[in-house]
Amino acid sequence: MLTYIIRRLLLLLFVLFGVSILIFGILMTFSPERRAAAYVTTPQQAKDIPRLIQQFGLDDPFYIQYFRWIKEVSRGNMGWSLVAARPVREAFWRYLPVTLEMNLFAAPIVIVFGIWLGTISGIHRDTYIDHVTRIFAIVGWSLPTFLFALVLLMVFYGYFHLFTPGVISDQVTMFILDNPEKFTRFTGMYTIDGILNGRLDITLDALGHLVLPVLTYVIVVVALNMRVMRSGIIEELSKDYIITARAKGADKRTIHIKHARRNALLPVVTVAGQLLAMSMEGSIAVEVVFTRQGIGWWLAESATQLDMPVLMCICLFMGVVFVVTNLTLDILYAYIDPRIRLT
Amino acid sequence: MATLLETVDLVTDFYTYEGVVKALNKISLVVDHGATFGLVGESGCGKSVTARSIMRIVQEPGRIERGKVIVYLDEKNRQAGVDLLQQSEAYMQAFRGDCISMIFQEPNAALNPIMSIGDQVCESFLFHQKREMCAKILEDLCAPECRTFYPLRKLQRAIYRMAVHAPDTLVLKILDRIPLMKLWQKRFKKEAKRRSIEIVGKLGIPNPRQIVEQYPHNLSGGMKQRIVIAMALACSPMLLIADEATSNLDVTIQAQILELLRQLRKEVISSILLITHDLGVVAETCDRVGVMYAGNLCEVADVKDLFSKPLHPYTKALLDAVPKFSMEGTLKSIEGNVPNLVTPPPGCRFHPRCPHAMGICRMEPPILTEVRNNHLTACHLIKSGKT
Amino acid sequence: MSHQHPRLREFKFTLYRIVRNPSAIIGFTLLLFFSGVALFAPQIAPPKYAYNPYMMPHKGYSPTPKPPSDSNIFGTTSGQYDIFYGAVWGTRTAFKIGLFVVGISGLVGVTLGAVSGYYGGIIDEILMRITDIMWSIPTLVLAMAIVVAFGRGLDKVMIALAMVQWRWYVRVIRSEILTLRDEDFVQAAKIMGVSDPKIILRHILPNAIYPVLIMASMDMGSMVITAAFMSFIGLGSPRGFSDWGQMVALARNYIVGPPDDPLRFWYTIVIPGGCIVLFVLAWNLIGDALRDAFDPKLRRR
Repeated sequence: MLTYIIRRLLLLLFVLFGVSILIFGILMTFSPERRAAAYVTTPQQAKDIPRLIQQFGLDDPFYIQYFRWIKEVSRGNMGWSLVAARPVREAFWRYLPVTLEMNLFAAPIVIVFGIWLGTISGIHRDTYIDHVTRIFAIVGWSLPTFLFALVLLMVFYGYFHLFTPGVISDQVTMFILDNPEKFTRFTGMYTIDGILNGRLDITLDALGHLVLPVLTYVIVVVALNMRVMRSGIIEELSKDYIITARAKGADKRTIHIKHARRNALLPVVTVAGQLLAMSMEGSIAVEVVFTRQGIGWWLAESATQLDMPVLMCICLFMGVVFVVTNLTLDILYAYIDPRIRLT
Repeated sequence: MATLLETVDLVTDFYTYEGVVKALNKISLVVDHGATFGLVGESGCGKSVTARSIMRIVQEPGRIERGKVIVYLDEKNRQAGVDLLQQSEAYMQAFRGDCISMIFQEPNAALNPIMSIGDQVCESFLFHQKREMCAKILEDLCAPECRTFYPLRKLQRAIYRMAVHAPDTLVLKILDRIPLMKLWQKRFKKEAKRRSIEIVGKLGIPNPRQIVEQYPHNLSGGMKQRIVIAMALACSPMLLIADEATSNLDVTIQAQILELLRQLRKEVISSILLITHDLGVVAETCDRVGVMYAGNLCEVADVKDLFSKPLHPYTKALLDAVPKFSMEGTLKSIEGNVPNLVTPPPGCRFHPRCPHAMGICRMEPPILTEVRNNHLTACHLIKSGKT
Repeated sequence: MSHQHPRLREFKFTLYRIVRNPSAIIGFTLLLFFSGVALFAPQIAPPKYAYNPYMMPHKGYSPTPKPPSDSNIFGTTSGQYDIFYGAVWGTRTAFKIGLFVVGISGLVGVTLGAVSGYYGGIIDEILMRITDIMWSIPTLVLAMAIVVAFGRGLDKVMIALAMVQWRWYVRVIRSEILTLRDEDFVQAAKIMGVSDPKIILRHILPNAIYPVLIMASMDMGSMVITAAFMSFIGLGSPRGFSDWGQMVALARNYIVGPPDDPLRFWYTIVIPGGCIVLFVLAWNLIGDALRDAFDPKLRRR
């Protein structure tokens, strides 16, 4: 098992290497002049471009520039983010907790509801329940996340005046700015920090701001999750060991939960990686619409402003997340399914 | 001999895209206590459907339309027959595995791949023998040699007393849901495991303690089939239905399993309903035989009578088709094809292929009637006495 | 019934299963509707600028959207672009995006996946490593990176998406081919001396293509969504272009109206948004119906 993990972590390095080359290659499609021009803000500086190119070695061969970049990255210097007006590394740690917070609240809901709804629609196939959940799934999947977020914002914030967008309300922000000693940022997540600082009202405020984003995000991902679970259950219920269990005198509940569902979870774990990818895309949309300054929002803003270093940093980050997640999922799968033995 | 199981005019249909498949057409057979009944026929003639109809585990889109399946649980009391088709699903769930058990054709698929062997065999005990096990544990708890901590012992005794007298009380159900309190089940799960090790050992599997911890993919086909038999026999059922149980195994393993079934019939089970397409197996293991064709029972007789004096043309043709050492020349086959059961031939379903078909065979379906002592057949030819 | 050619019978059965499915009927109807709108766009909404019919006409530059009226059936967006016009010509844009991305990525993905899956060996290894690297970044993020590098514009968005999306097809086709490659009928064909490309085209692909068709149908929808999002954040079509995502972007400041009438500008979001949802819904319903029709385990009831 240990050798397996080590091998997979080496694969992580390989993938990161590949990702960095990919990103860097994309960056290099710019000509040196264009790349320098990205940092130019006045006509004055435009004349300086040849000098900039010279100074930063922007017309050196690919591999030299690449190694220079790798050296910088390994030292922790990933460039400067225009959007955040601070070094990329700092900005990253500032924005990450916001995204994590939302995922932390959304993930359990997605898992529980996805499995539950998928199971009941698979068991009661082609009945009224199945059709309702199926409609829900298809509509949920057809809905662009950003659009759904906008509509929810329009209805709940605009019409009902509940749930303002943003991470936390202005009073709290003002309070923290005015009294820095009264509020320490332990984790960067307002919900948890609120409790740790003994300020439950801040936690509640942050939770209030989380309702709409989590709702939007959850509906789309549950729709996907549910369908996979449903097809898994249908497939398992047609297998022979179910008949054996029935012949033993098992009641429906035991068959559905103890036998079918456990086996059906395996394909769900398999696609969980892809679901994670889709949910990342969803969280970008949610963060943009609800103006929550997290990684997704940062990405979108940087893309609009052609801020390349940020994009490269985020791509590397995604690479790490994916390989680690896939590794965890594989181990989880091996744990559930005794037929697989990781060697 | 006393009757154990009797089906009366059992009719089962399958509602498919191509039409209604009339799979079983008034099947009436009788299985006695302590006998082995063999049900023979070609693939697709409805043998498995009969077995599943008896157990009421016919799958969608099948439906049992009419008929009776009467079980006489008490050998001595013939009046106490129970019609299975009239009972509730809850009754059937308690019945299956406890009074009638079934083993299937494909041992590789019959076991849940992610549950250990022990867990699966224990399931049979946990479904049906909860009360007995709890009673036994209660006895152990009350015995003077009991070494458990005193207050804990009192608590456990109370719980188990409840489990024996009223297993479905709310209190127990609540206890089951609370994680820590679930530990009360530890004792009887251990007892179930002990019983499963015992039965696995009884079936001739070496190292039952280790096997019980393993998973199905660790075992060979023959072993898996033995485990399936162990699961079926766990609660000492009165009837074991073996649905082509040896068809997918090598001949040597097949012989072992059949020998095992023979032994078990003397010790544990009472009767076996053996479904197969192999006439050799029937000749070797069965007391009584029923021959099925296209959803109909053609002939039912004692084994010796059937093989020495077959009455129905189909049976005769089947027996002729088996190659024998003394034969020479070409193999005999039955002309024609198995009929489409959506639109079965009118009258006798065998008449298109029967060398002795008469006018009446095309119009009226023959009824299964006794011709000689205990030798029944469904054929107009026999009735008219033309044999 | 049993006297018909088996392929004809299977085809009829598949059609039967599709037609019996109410969601499929809805999907096809919607699709037919959108195709009609796209085909007859010049008739339904005559273009104002002959050289670029995709530019929405606008009377004035006022930022406040106007509600539906006689001159503008669906109202106008911020900047006075006619929503009706945008919705109609946006259908054409949506079809263009979907067909281009799915077509190119599907073709590339299926070819690469088929070759890799069938021949195996070193080609397979290399290709799998490359796709593994590509898998570690979600579609949207990678497409955004490519668009940032190449520049804004709907055409660049389409190219970027096509460059990213082929990985799905590779994976699907490869896994199907790996299963089919060892089947007896392929071995039989090989023994008879059928050449490799012919085996792939005539024997394996017709069996392996079903999941690809289902995925292609779903992708038509999801690519439109992704492209719409990229237009929404400003990486796609320029302002005033008939693209549903673009139109939603124009509505961004008008989600909430004045305090006394917060839902005043509903049409700026709901109409282009509704178009997106219905379009994607149509393709998803069709894909779902195809999946149910093709699934061997769900057939034959």
